[in-house]
Amino acid sequence: MYFVAEVDEKECSKYNCKQCVLFCPEPNCLNFKESGHTAWVWYDRCKGCEICVYVCSDLLKRNCIEMVMVKTGD
Amino acid sequence: MGLEYVKISPGFEKYMPRDYVDLVEFGQFGKEIDVMQMGQFKELVEEHPMCAGCYMAYFIRVFYTALPKPEDTIVLGTAGCARLALSQAAVPFIYGNYGDTNAVASGLKRALSIRFPDKEKDVVVIAGDGGLMDIGFGMTMHSWFRREKFTTIMVDNEVYGNTGGQESGMSPKGIQLKMAPTGKKFDKINAVELAQTAGCVYVARISPTNPKRIAKVIRRAILAARKFGPTFIHAYTSCNIEYSIPTREVLADARQREKKDFKFYEWMTDEVKEYLNEIEKKAKEVKS
Repeated sequence: MYFVAEVDEKECSKYNCKQCVLFCPEPNCLNFKESGHTAWVWYDRCKGCEICVYVCSDLLKRNCIEMVMVKTGD
Repeated sequence: MGLEYVKISPGFEKYMPRDYVDLVEFGQFGKEIDVMQMGQFKELVEEHPMCAGCYMAYFIRVFYTALPKPEDTIVLGTAGCARLALSQAAVPFIYGNYGDTNAVASGLKRALSIRFPDKEKDVVVIAGDGGLMDIGFGMTMHSWFRREKFTTIMVDNEVYGNTGGQESGMSPKGIQLKMAPTGKKFDKINAVELAQTAGCVYVARISPTNPKRIAKVIRRAILAARKFGPTFIHAYTSCNIEYSIPTREVLADARQREKKDFKFYEWMTDEVKEYLNEIEKKAKEVKS
């Protein structure tokens, strides 16, 4: 069990801002879908550092990303 | 490396891993990539074992996006955290002994200019504060005295993070670390001023809070190194483990340090300024 980021795509597509993608330290972990104007997370690559949450919630006050628990192995 | 080198032989497409196929189809080779497009193409650097929330990893991610010509670039690194990510990229990487990266880079750059006289080959050294300013101090300084034409980037985490937290010459004064419990008694080395005095033609100090600015600085340093001489970038890349920064606060810490001792600073000689202005002007005209 560990934490990964999850994007609320409906909420995220309202802003078209892409800031979280630009500040993620992992390559190709947080990506941007141009068709839906929303960020999306490649869960296998996410290490759960919450920098995207800091950018989205603390800096921009948009609250589109939250941390969720994923289970492995089952 | 270039697109021809990474292309998959016909018939083997379905056997290759997805990451590799993505690199060929949506990768950076042969395209003009802007750093603001991050997250919309397959990046050169792959998954790596650096810690969660490491801003050195972030700096390296932006570095690979900002390379002006990734197919003609060779990256050098040494023992330390940075090599964990540098060795996971689709750009040739040479692992120097601890401290001798700049000596290896000097030889490499000279050899490349003899082997490929009509081609621009970029050599970039990325090493930590220990590799460049403590143990590799002599090699770094002498490569600058000799005016070798390559870029040196110091990813400064202010500690020996790999070996348990010993103080380095770049740790701030008074700081207590796990393996330095009495606190550091000396000031942080002023690497930027040293570089200026030693003969670098382009010098910058940066905290990774603005991807566009990081990319601009890296591009300028590499372009200036091609023609004029050594260039140096001092980047603050915090160690959230040894300095106990909660991962969520890593960017906040970088922003805070930017206001204090890591204010953005850029210095270059007049001829470099003229040259870069010309190139950037041309690039703008092409865009519009």
